[in-house]
Amino acid sequence: MLIPDFLIGRAARNPDRNVLLYGKNRITYGRLLAAARSLAAWLDDLGLEPGFRGALLTDEPFEYLASYFGILLAGGTVVGLNTQTSDRSLLYTLQDSEAGLLVANRKFFRHLQRVLPFAGSLAAVAVTGSREPVPGAGNLEYENLTRLLEDDTAPDRILPYRSPCDLAQIIYTSGTTGRPKGVMLRHVNLVANTRSIIEYLRLGENDRVMAVLPFFYSYGNSVMLTHIAAGGSLVVNQSFMYPNVILQQMVEHRVTGFSGVPSSYAILLSRSAIETFTFPDLRYITQAGAAMSPALVHKLKKVFPGVDIFIMYGQTEASARLSYLDPGEVDKRPDSIGKAIPGVELQLLGRDGRPVPVGETGEIVARGPNVMAGYWQRPEETSAVLRKEGLWTGDLARQDDEGFFYIVSRKSDIIKSGSHRIGPKEIEDTIAGHPAVHEVAVVGIPDDILDERIRACVVLHHGASCSEKELLKHCRIELPAYKVPQEVVFLEQLPKTATGKVKKSALKGVST
Amino acid sequence: MSETVNTIRRFIFDNFLFDAGEDDLGNDDSFLEQGIIDSTGVLELVEWLEETFSISVDDEELIPENLDSVNRLAAYVARKTA
Repeated sequence: MLIPDFLIGRAARNPDRNVLLYGKNRITYGRLLAAARSLAAWLDDLGLEPGFRGALLTDEPFEYLASYFGILLAGGTVVGLNTQTSDRSLLYTLQDSEAGLLVANRKFFRHLQRVLPFAGSLAAVAVTGSREPVPGAGNLEYENLTRLLEDDTAPDRILPYRSPCDLAQIIYTSGTTGRPKGVMLRHVNLVANTRSIIEYLRLGENDRVMAVLPFFYSYGNSVMLTHIAAGGSLVVNQSFMYPNVILQQMVEHRVTGFSGVPSSYAILLSRSAIETFTFPDLRYITQAGAAMSPALVHKLKKVFPGVDIFIMYGQTEASARLSYLDPGEVDKRPDSIGKAIPGVELQLLGRDGRPVPVGETGEIVARGPNVMAGYWQRPEETSAVLRKEGLWTGDLARQDDEGFFYIVSRKSDIIKSGSHRIGPKEIEDTIAGHPAVHEVAVVGIPDDILDERIRACVVLHHGASCSEKELLKHCRIELPAYKVPQEVVFLEQLPKTATGKVKKSALKGVST
Repeated sequence: MSETVNTIRRFIFDNFLFDAGEDDLGNDDSFLEQGIIDSTGVLELVEWLEETFSISVDDEELIPENLDSVNRLAAYVARKTA
């Protein structure tokens, strides 16, 4: 079983059923598959080597999904790019993944123009609405993506054979040690996780999910795959700028499910008219991505009476999901991440690799068919987390005597802001690049809406001057918007341990 | 009205556009479609509107018709302060 088989099976059974609804667009399973086949035929003609990396830079749902399945059908590996990007981030990901193909929406024209000449591995580019190659594309193979996706005449042809153990996706995730690293997921990893999630959410053809999370993230990717595999529909609005619009769409499309991160729910509860809405068709909501406070869970139960709340836990390295709390347990233990999902085994181990006694804290180590193949071209980082015991998650937890898990803390200093995972190192490196800056440390500060906001603690060179505004402008140019700190604190010196390591915990408490 | 438009433009450039030139933002350009403001940016924008123009933005009013361009914002502020 390969990922495209989910789409092929559903399109054969229900070609006229809507898979995507957004704005005024209605896309059926049949049309999505035809568009994917058209792109795959073009890629097949180009003769890219099996397993080529196809990067996607679009937030248009039909373009994203058709290209996603088209690349897989043509034997490629999908690399979904964050659409909140900068030239530097985009070039880094294209170079690191050694992408042979880039599929992009025209709105990223300016980035493309500046980045394409330096992305040496690229062989082909497809951009929407543009008959002429975009400037910077040089001698690359070029195609108008709009034309390709509208062409439903591509015959069903024999495409390159792929095995379930071949790579399907590389999802980039923030690292604490520097630049984002690519998580390699095989078809079998994603298929197993998709089936497991469908089982515990009891998803079926009549489910329609409100998809607010970007598809290029692991959680959004899993919402997309599970609903297509189940034959359901995706109602897409990924901006989350106007929560009232999302609530109206939930009512209008009679959605049965909603998947969010804690900040999605915090925004809905604090900056929308949610109490004036009723959702008679809503069956379940899911939450993952960070710990949600029991107070927030309690509020959700009030605004969504009778709706199942699934608290879930996982990481990109596990294709998305590792555990969930049965909705029937939410009242009793709202702070728990539940138990392992079907097919996955979770253990709490000490540093010596031995299980810790019940009630004591250990690191969550996972085994299952959903665990990644490793980090793309990073054998050392791979062997640090994929060890003989399984996937060492870096998350510390305890287990009660009924077997429920509770997160205690994270070993890493990744900042979780909204739906983003942000490694502080890249921001620190950027700020340190400003000529007035002597030293910098970046930490996450608790925030009611975002979960965490980014604080930069900066020490300037002796005699140098630099305003907060100037530093933020520097960050704006170098970093994607979501990595720009929300606050800058200027200090005389950074607190350090005896060995010279910055004490980040102390920086979380300094007053601004 | 034009003073309000200028005040709003200044805020958008100072907080979201930084290195952009004046011509990069038309007064009818959608913040959403142009990717200028995200969901947390809207919250900053609302906080700023409330402080700067001494108005209270109701949850029901958080819709694109009121907030999604410089001109829409200016018209919304004019209605609220009338």
